[in-house]
Amino acid sequence: MKGVYLTVVLAPLIGSIIAGLFGRKIGKTGAHGVTIAGVALSFLMSLVAFKHIVIDGAPTFNESVYTWLISDGIRLEIGFLIDRLTALMMVVVTFVSLMVHIYTIGYMKDDPGYQRFFSYISLFTFSMLMLVMANNFLQLFFGWEAVGLVSYLLIGFWYQRESAIYANLKAFLVNRVGDFGFLLGIAAILMYFNSLDYADVFAAAPLLSDVTIQVFPGVEWSLLTVICILLFIGAMGKSAQMPLHVWLPDSMEGPTPISALIHAATMVTAGIFMVARMSPLYELSETALSVVLVIGALTAFLMGLLGIVQNDIKRMVAYSTLSQLGYMTVALGVSAYSAAIFHLMTHAFFKALMFLAAGSVIIAMHHDQDIRNMGGLKKYMPITYWTFLIGALALIGFPGTAGFFSKDAIIEAVHASDLPGSGFAYLAVLLGVFVTALYTFRAFFLVFHGKERMDEHTRTHLRESPLVVTVPLILLAIPSVLVGMVAIGPLLFGEFFADSIYVAAAHDVLARIGEDFTGALGFLFHGMLGMPVLLALAGVATAWYIYLQRPELAGLIKARFELLYRILDRKYGFDDFNEAFFAAGSRGLGRLFWRTGDETVIDGVAVNGTAKGIGWIAARIRQAQTGLLYHYAFAMIIGLLILISFYVLL
Amino acid sequence: MVFEFPNFVPALAEIFVLTMACVVLIVDLFLTERNRVITYLLSQATLLGAAVLTVSLHNNSTELTFSGGFIRDGMGDVLKVFIYLVVAVVFLYSREYLVVRKLFKGEFFVLGLFAVLGMMVMVSGHSLLTIYLGLELLSLSLYAMVAMHRDSMPASEAAMKYFILGAIASGMLLYGMSLIYGATGSLDIGVIADTLRMSPGDDMVLLLGLTFIIVALAFKLGAVPFHMWIPDVYHGAPTPVTLFIGSAPKIAAFAMVMRLLVDGLGPLHVQWQDMLVILAALSIVAGSVIAIAQRNLKRMLAYSTIAHVGFLLLGILAGTENGYAGAMFYVLVYALMTLGAFGMILMLSRAGFEADEIEDFKGLNERSPWFAFVMLILMFSMAGVPPFVGFYAKLAVLQAVIDAGLVWLAVLAVLSAVIGAFYYLRIVKYMYFDKPGDESALQSNFDMRATISANGLLILGLGIYPSGLMALCVTVLR
Amino acid sequence: MSIEPVLFYIFSAVLVFAAVMVIAVRNPVFAALFLVLAFFNSAALWLLLEAEFLALVLVLVYVGAVMVLFLFVVMMLDINLTPLREGFIKYMPVGLVVAVIMLLEIAVVVGPENFGLDQVAPPPRHGADYNNTAELGSVLYTVYAYPFEIAAVILLVAIVAAISLTLRRRPQTKYQNPAEQVLVRREDRVRLVKMEAEKAGSAEGAEGD
Repeated sequence: MKGVYLTVVLAPLIGSIIAGLFGRKIGKTGAHGVTIAGVALSFLMSLVAFKHIVIDGAPTFNESVYTWLISDGIRLEIGFLIDRLTALMMVVVTFVSLMVHIYTIGYMKDDPGYQRFFSYISLFTFSMLMLVMANNFLQLFFGWEAVGLVSYLLIGFWYQRESAIYANLKAFLVNRVGDFGFLLGIAAILMYFNSLDYADVFAAAPLLSDVTIQVFPGVEWSLLTVICILLFIGAMGKSAQMPLHVWLPDSMEGPTPISALIHAATMVTAGIFMVARMSPLYELSETALSVVLVIGALTAFLMGLLGIVQNDIKRMVAYSTLSQLGYMTVALGVSAYSAAIFHLMTHAFFKALMFLAAGSVIIAMHHDQDIRNMGGLKKYMPITYWTFLIGALALIGFPGTAGFFSKDAIIEAVHASDLPGSGFAYLAVLLGVFVTALYTFRAFFLVFHGKERMDEHTRTHLRESPLVVTVPLILLAIPSVLVGMVAIGPLLFGEFFADSIYVAAAHDVLARIGEDFTGALGFLFHGMLGMPVLLALAGVATAWYIYLQRPELAGLIKARFELLYRILDRKYGFDDFNEAFFAAGSRGLGRLFWRTGDETVIDGVAVNGTAKGIGWIAARIRQAQTGLLYHYAFAMIIGLLILISFYVLL
Repeated sequence: MVFEFPNFVPALAEIFVLTMACVVLIVDLFLTERNRVITYLLSQATLLGAAVLTVSLHNNSTELTFSGGFIRDGMGDVLKVFIYLVVAVVFLYSREYLVVRKLFKGEFFVLGLFAVLGMMVMVSGHSLLTIYLGLELLSLSLYAMVAMHRDSMPASEAAMKYFILGAIASGMLLYGMSLIYGATGSLDIGVIADTLRMSPGDDMVLLLGLTFIIVALAFKLGAVPFHMWIPDVYHGAPTPVTLFIGSAPKIAAFAMVMRLLVDGLGPLHVQWQDMLVILAALSIVAGSVIAIAQRNLKRMLAYSTIAHVGFLLLGILAGTENGYAGAMFYVLVYALMTLGAFGMILMLSRAGFEADEIEDFKGLNERSPWFAFVMLILMFSMAGVPPFVGFYAKLAVLQAVIDAGLVWLAVLAVLSAVIGAFYYLRIVKYMYFDKPGDESALQSNFDMRATISANGLLILGLGIYPSGLMALCVTVLR
Repeated sequence: MSIEPVLFYIFSAVLVFAAVMVIAVRNPVFAALFLVLAFFNSAALWLLLEAEFLALVLVLVYVGAVMVLFLFVVMMLDINLTPLREGFIKYMPVGLVVAVIMLLEIAVVVGPENFGLDQVAPPPRHGADYNNTAELGSVLYTVYAYPFEIAAVILLVAIVAAISLTLRRRPQTKYQNPAEQVLVRREDRVRLVKMEAEKAGSAEGAEGD
């Protein structure tokens, strides 16, 4: 099986290298041919691995394939840990990636950076697979940074745009903050466990659960709490949890396929995956779990509210992504790791679907993303309409869709939990359901129903997108509906993750709700009458009333709740605060260091001084190379003389 | 004196190369300009045949023949195979350059084969006499090759300098050898070692002989202050000849150092270690620093060679098995990197355009991203950036030096390597961040492109899996 | 005291003097002649060491062949003396100091302390019928066959190098090939062409005039 796993990882890498280095030579067709072939192969091999591990029930594969070096007993190596969690992630990542690859053919058709784009997204697929398949922290960190790098490159893909450059720099800097925590966490693990291997660390973790360290003098903290929170800071950056979420909405500057692949389905869920993978550590620290829970709940609710005031269709979807990531984080916080992964999977399908459908709308609208300029698109683009509707229903958790099962499971799990903060979290996720339904269907109604507000020119050119766009939509719509019903039993209440995820008995909320679980249909009927569904329907109804029946109401409400609107419109002031405090502050600090520290001391004396000094010495010594034969011979004689004088006579 | 009829089998490869060199010499007479490619193919076949012979004769034991003048052992076999490989690639890279400049003559290949023979004799030399003769055979061939481009003033000047300085060095080597002979009464490496082991080695005659030998070795390797010929010869010689001089002979020189200093004068390790420390330190520092001031890539690589030689000496002076293995690893890797770097110059050059200025690499990325990448691999590897193999080579010798207790030398070497990284990375900067001076696409034939790509990928591959080659070096030196 | 040490010192003194003069005289022809003198004296020293064969070969090969050739070359090349001399005075003091130090250092090592009859036993003396040449030949072609062969290859390389560096085919040079001249046939050189005494067209033109 090692060969299969290697193929899964290497096929996209090879595709990426070929498309990247020989892009001009192989042309557009060659570029998408080779990368799609690579990812398709990778997907097939993932299916093989999935069958092997999940269906045939093969034991967990945990082997290193390459040892880079061994230093002081610490092995730096590349290895694969393939269990059910990994197998599931591999299938999801490669499937969504494959869909996005195909979709991109249509979306990027006329872009001059066509080959570069395909090279990047294949490289991303490689990095993401390295991340999920890692069996040690070094490789995890490599994948973590590599996806961050590709994300940076892709957000700034249209690098002539000022806003794209701003957005990718922002994403990079914010992620740096998260990565700093992540790196510290890994360093702490290395320091106390003296190993980077998952298996070693997890095995040793219970022994170290009582160890405390002093980060600040006089304050004793549990080692594992510190490690877990540091790692979670990394996850906050990558999975865009408050307050490190600010980069995600701006990342919509990138091409839409990227928003679907990286900023909805895969990369942003890396944090969720990582925490689930680290469950043996998190289970040992209730404090860390509480932190995770509260952060997640805040993100889920507050980011959903922001979705209501967005007028850019992609930004709306982006805020909904933030909110859904919050749900996953909440699930992690109450130790319902499988529910988080379950939601991660369903979300990957329906959110990719929504992004791609939004992209399809954007293509039709000639890259106008403002929903105020749309309306009544239903009759022009039926496939996009229906697939978007399916995505939206899944997103709000309409009974029967994939989103319903996963989201309801999370809400039930929070309800069942008795961790500090779970009461608040329950309230937040419940209200979140209403908010989700409201903003989702606000956008839906504004785009596809009501008056046609676009200009005449655009209207005459409105038509359904080509097959390469619509086929991925349809292919993604299918799992968006079905995967929940199929997977909920084994994933949440079965033994699916028994080997991959460890939950302490005291925290096992899923087992508690599992006692009542009789099957997907029972869950469906039970949930149909529950609070979340009613709230969701109320949200849809509200949106319908305000935006279709009484369009003037929206303006009235805006005027009436001026202050609230302002707060939401400024996104709670996170950006302004960051801009005013961190950005301006660090610029000021930077200028100080630059002028005095860098320019005079380091540049002037240390760097340029050294360089100039060496350059000067080099130029002087160079003079010795006169080109005259007898000088050379003389130099040899002198050298000989010195050697004789020193070593023979003395 | 009892004469034992020698066993020719261990020397079959040498005999084969000699025979074939003469065959090529004669065949070439009957070829016209148009089918001179036969000479080239015959030369490559010679190298291939020699490789087959050497590999098939390889075993882990040590055999002596020709009354003790010839030794066949594991180290010798590995080094010889690498010499064939390197020279074959040199011939391959050189072909087009020579054809374009009307230098595609049989003499280049004949002299090249004789130089290979000289190197083989050196590698297998087990008496002062054969080592010296091997060296002369190699040097004479090289002098002639440098001068081959008769219409080029710099080439003639370089040949003259090389010849005269080389003659001085040979004189010193002979003088040193004669003193060693006088002190020990034998030319045989094994007997010399035995004699030295018996008597304490503070004899002044021995030390004087040792010093002269070290000076000659330092000249051959190009260690400061006996390095002066290197920049001028590298710069002045036609690029294929520079490529030749810069690659395979270093492997032979390493073998010579091993035979003379380690096998023969090993008991004097304490004495020669001190001298090598000075030579290594000077070479590393001077090579790294002066290279910065160079505008010509061949000259820059010449100084980089000097720095690399310093690193090579680090491994030898440590005087441990690991050190020797590290030095051997270093010299093999160095030969491969040099091949690639000069190969790139040859590939970029055209009729009337040498491509040996650093500026000529400007914007290579726009002209050919793949070959810019290959050059990037080579430069990173030379600078010692992981994961390329140059890093492991440096690591191995530094490890040996630290184990030998010379921490200050290791620190000095690392600092110089940092300085050295500057001029390697400057080329990368030129390739990726500057606009190309000329936009024309690269023109070169398929075998050149394929080989140079393989060359670069080998550097990368060995960097990812260095253990195989390293294990080989350790095994044959045990 | 036997005559041998006296002879040794005389020959040695002349040898050193001649060697110094080789590099000190201005005229290259004189330098070459001093080199001949140095060779003769070394040959004489070898005779004292009972190495008759080497002494004779030195005289025959070096003096008889190499130096004569060398003299021809020196005389044929019109070497301008002044530029060669330019740096001489300037570098002389430094060079002299270095040379003297070097000489002293080597002298310390290669002095009577480490060499000489009281350090190393003298080789056994041989009778008048002892054949130096045969002895040399018997080891040269047996024990030292391998180095001997390599030396032969070196000479081959020298020949190849010398020819390839000096032989130029000059396409514009005209030269005769006697073989072709001898083998030439009448048909190759002479071609009989039949033609009318007067062309028709030109005859008409002539009429017009």
